[in-house]
Amino acid sequence: MRHGRYPFILSFLALPVGLYAWLVILPFAQAFQISLTDWSGSSNSFNYIGFDNYVNLFKDDRFVLPALRNTGIILVVLPLVTIALGLFFAFMLNLGGKMRRGRIEGVRGARFHKIVFFFPQVLSVAIVGILWKQVYAPENFGGLITGALGAVGLPAPVNGFLADKRFVLAAVIGVLVWSAVGFYLVYFSSAIASIPRDLYEAAIIDGAGRIPMFFKITLPLLWDSVQTAWIYLSIIALDVFVLIYLMTPEQGGPDGASEVVGGVIWKYAFKHGEQAFASAIGVVLFFAALSLAVISLRVGRRERIEF
Amino acid sequence: MSNTPADRQAIFTRRNLFGATAAGIAATSLGACATSGGDDEQKEVTVGDDAENPFGVDPKAPLDVVIFDGGFGNEYAVAHQALYNEAFPDAEIEFLATQAIAETQQPRFAEGKPADVIDNSGAQQIPMDALVSDGELAELTPLLDAPSYDDPALTVRETLRDGVLEAGTFNGKVYSLNYVFNAWTIWYDSKLFSDNGWTPPTTWAEMMALCPTIKAAGIAPWTYAGQHPVYLYDMFLMLAGRHGGVQVLKDIDNLVADAWRHPSVVAAAEALHSIGDGGFLLDGSAGIDHIQSQTAFNENKAAFLPCGSWLPNEQKAIAPEGFAYAPMGVPYLDGSVQPGLISAGGDEPFVIPKNAANLPGAYEYLRIMLSQEGSQIFGDTVQAATVVKGVELDNEAARMTDALVSNPDDMFQPKLRYWYTTMDTELRPALGQLINAETSAADFIDRMQGVADETAADDSIEKFTHDE
Repeated sequence: MRHGRYPFILSFLALPVGLYAWLVILPFAQAFQISLTDWSGSSNSFNYIGFDNYVNLFKDDRFVLPALRNTGIILVVLPLVTIALGLFFAFMLNLGGKMRRGRIEGVRGARFHKIVFFFPQVLSVAIVGILWKQVYAPENFGGLITGALGAVGLPAPVNGFLADKRFVLAAVIGVLVWSAVGFYLVYFSSAIASIPRDLYEAAIIDGAGRIPMFFKITLPLLWDSVQTAWIYLSIIALDVFVLIYLMTPEQGGPDGASEVVGGVIWKYAFKHGEQAFASAIGVVLFFAALSLAVISLRVGRRERIEF
Repeated sequence: MSNTPADRQAIFTRRNLFGATAAGIAATSLGACATSGGDDEQKEVTVGDDAENPFGVDPKAPLDVVIFDGGFGNEYAVAHQALYNEAFPDAEIEFLATQAIAETQQPRFAEGKPADVIDNSGAQQIPMDALVSDGELAELTPLLDAPSYDDPALTVRETLRDGVLEAGTFNGKVYSLNYVFNAWTIWYDSKLFSDNGWTPPTTWAEMMALCPTIKAAGIAPWTYAGQHPVYLYDMFLMLAGRHGGVQVLKDIDNLVADAWRHPSVVAAAEALHSIGDGGFLLDGSAGIDHIQSQTAFNENKAAFLPCGSWLPNEQKAIAPEGFAYAPMGVPYLDGSVQPGLISAGGDEPFVIPKNAANLPGAYEYLRIMLSQEGSQIFGDTVQAATVVKGVELDNEAARMTDALVSNPDDMFQPKLRYWYTTMDTELRPALGQLINAETSAADFIDRMQGVADETAADDSIEKFTHDE
């Protein structure tokens, strides 16, 4: 039977590998090629212009540079806040409660909380965007937060949070965290559930409180999960576009205060008719995402603890 | 762009697609890629002697029509296609009504197989400057020189209102038929004004004097669609143009050196700044979209709203009882030399791609749209005027708008928005900042002069100018 093995395996691989090459690798390769041209996107002719697009990219202080800065901010803040909140909630829901019959348990109503926190995850991102746009709206136009701030006599931005340069990016990041944290709560919860309870019980007997327990036991044993979450969230951060598109004035405003790389690619490709320039930004983003994943896997590598 | 299409190579032939190494994959997959080339045969359409069928339409050739399914809907287009089928019963019409013009049609241009007629409009329009400079559009001269549908003694050009071809003209050549006649004006509720004994202001000084009175009545003087500052364009540019004459605006469009530093432009910027500075904007305006701003206006929360002449039709179903939409030109500054200047002309650009499969059919379709019957259908279904003369509209606001644009010398459409995407993307947020007094008039002028200088210096951007 041995001699027929490779043709057998290859016949299974041909289709998926072929599809992958055709639908994933080829478009990527084409984006590289397009980025070296002056193709507008609505014509079937073009000139090769070398690396001009890449040079101009870093001179574009109207779109690209603010977008890189804002995406950079999201890249740092989103994983940090989401993972911190996710871990905190997961820990509280699993181990935050009292000892009962010699076992530690989560806070009261942990299952209910899990469902509530997970809820944003099942909403489509379009609904999330429209919902939060209204939450952030100006007080005159039914904004929930501005209205609440006004009701208790606190100052609120008169044009709402999304039309204010100072708050727009934070407002969008807030929505991103809100919609992501439920998933990571559930994810970390299941990871915590796989940690043997005797470790915690031994720690409690040794007199450890909740905080040392978290930092000395939970976090080190969850390191692999945290690392994976970090990579996922970083990729989400690089891809932020739909919420910006749905929520902010002029899809990245006011006055460029919430431009992100994904949105700028879309603007150049479809609004400005500069497909080649958009491809160049896409290529840069591709390498940024790739190196980010490689770096976080390398830097984060630790010794695995068997239990 | 500086290269003529002839210098360019056909895109992505099998040979040059990342070399021979990947040729195997490439050969099987090109059909699915956005950039695979189409054949580039050039066809010319000429005007023949037959007034019934001047372009020599093949009665059996299918026609492919794409309509922007926005505020005007697509009912009128269905009726136009019925007219086309009356003339050519054997022609099969492929019809797509969509809001995503760029996303659906750009790939077809790239493939070299575009639709025959495209209503390139809406937020997702394909940038006209890119299409024109890539040489993707057919010139409309044959259409304009053809005998009109109703009277062979008149050419199509002669049946159109004055100045309506301006919007589709790029360096003297007409590339788009802007079908809808539109004027940008300031709207107010004349009933609210007469109830309160306010006179609609004609000068900026009168307007500024009236604002505190309006505010004292518990109404914000102004609002606008803050999320789309494009609604401020014509208000601002007409202020400048009225003050210094239309040449000021032509200089801006023509990228003349220091055009933005002209005293009239500075005065207009200061005037716009004074609205926000005086607290005359409805709270929250910067954060709302056009629907919210129009709703606030309908509810008399704000007295003035800059908008296009489609406003009363758009609001027809939801306008409150007794609300009387009335348009006026932007109140002019002291010392204005051309106080009647108004931004009016064609809107809703219909284009014919150069590589359209059925070019004669496309020209004929536009000729049918421009017939008396075709434009009356449009007028009846959407209650908006077309660019054709002599279409009756039974609506008071439309008649008032017509009165504002009676003098063709005072009609002018600023072009920088269509000619230079770079300028457009800068001017929109800059105007938003200015009217909210978040930036000073001097900073606004510096910013706009800066981007104008950059645009003028950038060789990769094709330049357009107004005919003198």
